[in-house]
Amino acid sequence: MKRCSAGIRVLIMSALLVAVICASPLILSGQQGYLEVSAPGNRQLQLAIAPPAALSGGVNQDVARAIIDVFKFDMTLAGPFSVSEPQVTESRSGIRPGDFDMASWRAAGTDLLIKSGYVVSGDSVSIEFRLYDVLTEKELAAKRYTGSKRDVRRVVHTFSDDIMSAMTGIRGPFTCKIAFVSTATRNKEIYLMDYDGQNIQRITKNGSINLYPDFSPNGRELIYTSYKKGNPDLYRRELASGAEARVTTARGTNITGAFAPDGNRIALSMSKDGNAEIYLLSKEGKQLSRLTNNDAIEIAPAWSPDAKQIAFVSDRLGKPQVYIMDSDGRNVRRLTTSGAYNVGPRWSPRGDKIAYCRQMGGGFQIFTINPDGTGDTQLTREGSNEHPRWSPDGRFIAFSSKRGGRESVYIMRSDGTGQTKISRGGTSDSSPVWSPRW
Amino acid sequence: MNPSVKRNDKGLLPTLPVSLIFHLAIYGLFAWFHFFPSAPVTEAPVYYVDVVNLPVASPQQGSPSAAGTAPSPPPAVKPPAPEMKLPAKESGQKPAGKPAKAATTPTRTAEESSKEFEDRLARLQQSSDARHEAAAMDAIRKKAAVRGKGQAGIPGGTGHESGSDYASYIRSRLVDAFKTTIAYQDKTPRMTVILTIDKNGRVLKRRTESSTGDRLFEDAVNRAIVKAEREFRPPPNGGSFEYGFIFTAQGVGKQ
Repeated sequence: MKRCSAGIRVLIMSALLVAVICASPLILSGQQGYLEVSAPGNRQLQLAIAPPAALSGGVNQDVARAIIDVFKFDMTLAGPFSVSEPQVTESRSGIRPGDFDMASWRAAGTDLLIKSGYVVSGDSVSIEFRLYDVLTEKELAAKRYTGSKRDVRRVVHTFSDDIMSAMTGIRGPFTCKIAFVSTATRNKEIYLMDYDGQNIQRITKNGSINLYPDFSPNGRELIYTSYKKGNPDLYRRELASGAEARVTTARGTNITGAFAPDGNRIALSMSKDGNAEIYLLSKEGKQLSRLTNNDAIEIAPAWSPDAKQIAFVSDRLGKPQVYIMDSDGRNVRRLTTSGAYNVGPRWSPRGDKIAYCRQMGGGFQIFTINPDGTGDTQLTREGSNEHPRWSPDGRFIAFSSKRGGRESVYIMRSDGTGQTKISRGGTSDSSPVWSPRW
Repeated sequence: MNPSVKRNDKGLLPTLPVSLIFHLAIYGLFAWFHFFPSAPVTEAPVYYVDVVNLPVASPQQGSPSAAGTAPSPPPAVKPPAPEMKLPAKESGQKPAGKPAKAATTPTRTAEESSKEFEDRLARLQQSSDARHEAAAMDAIRKKAAVRGKGQAGIPGGTGHESGSDYASYIRSRLVDAFKTTIAYQDKTPRMTVILTIDKNGRVLKRRTESSTGDRLFEDAVNRAIVKAEREFRPPPNGGSFEYGFIFTAQGVGKQ
């Protein structure tokens, strides 16, 4: 009897197994199917800037105009947007969700809408911004800032950064500063300005020649080479306090200093031992190591974002070319193979490109190249263009150009489009460097 | 002496776990190496409906008319009109062709006899052409009727032909909307979205299965879905519908 029941159980189990085995293909066949949806082109989003509204108190045209002008400049340079100020008639003209008619903006073909409102009270200003996706009727970003009237441009730049963050996932660089060398005082002094050329501040006032500025990774310090004591020495300055320290005291050239990504080391070219070589110093000036050692001239070190490699210029094969070495000086390999004279490398913050200058005709042009030597691409063609420096998000490049006669600071997108002059004075401005985000 | 033998037989019970483990192992091996016969998969084939991009009113039928009534086929060609007869001879004799006999009539000339022969030959030729023409039109009508059952959007479609399934219909709406929203910043943007559409044609759920992380592209995809949803028709089976759509940028190759 027991054997009989055991046999039945075995039979039942076997039947269940067979059923599971037979059913498995049917279960598996229920997997999801997919269809491909693709479209041609890369469309610019239609970004509309609604007229800034006075939330209370009187209308202030200066504030309203500044808001629109800064947004237009930032968003147009950004690239993904086509910026406009459409005249849309709204039955309700609030700025908060539900306080205005989104359909009228949708009818105007708008994808994104910036609504802003301000309250001016004496010298203080409170500004509220809201970014809407018109199609989905969603609010993508909203911020309110309070400051003085002179902060209006900076406040708008800050919200532009937020717009880039909301739309692309990476904050914009619009609140960053650009340091540059100017001959405004007939000497070569270092100045600081907003990335759009506004709010120029003088940094050095030594009546000498000051060159090759570079920011520390936290943006609080600036290093540069100054001839203020006769010899081209490296100096480090705290921007907030204005305190300055001499980093190198060695005879010979101490030029093209570059802060390491960790902010504690500086790579620079020094000729104290004969010809110019790349050295590694602490930011206080203590020599840590000598990275190159040969008869050639080696200058312009540029750190990779991970601090593992350094690009630099060497004429070890006769003409200046861009090379890459490990940050301990080993494993040197040549990067640029086209063009007879390539200088001024600068690694992008994303690490995927290196910008540099190539001598072409009577001047220089800016190129980008992948760190493996592929993808060599010319970005500039007009005039002579030098000193490419990346924005902290890697979207833009600042450079100096002589295309208008006098040397001026320009910015462009990293693909070479949108080249825009931002120098505003009648002086010769050069060697721009983009600050990190503050 | 009759020693009693103590039986300790527990039947097949101890072998049951061994058998179970053995079968499961075999099953696992089969499943791992895909040895199972594949069942008929109901997955809709990837057909492209760009050529007939407008949505059909009844996608399950593939008919451009809401009622699904197929327009009547092209009218049949009328049989050729009766040929114009030659005017009767004044002599009252039959014009029908027995030229040999006609030739024996003494009043007819040799020329008349020849002309009559040519006329008769022409009539025969015309009759033959008409038959061929009618046969050709019949063939065209039959072909059109067969073709109507094989293509989306052609009257008489059964709804099972390529391009007329609901997934392809949704895809066509998404493609049109995506053309107006596409934007990206990466070199090879790609996003896979699983859409669940309820019985009313509304997007019930939207799940991102994978993405290359291009926020601009993701927003463009979401906008396209919102835009296309306005034109979705309810699924043909009266229930909800779930399918995956892979959004890419055309002409962007892998670098």
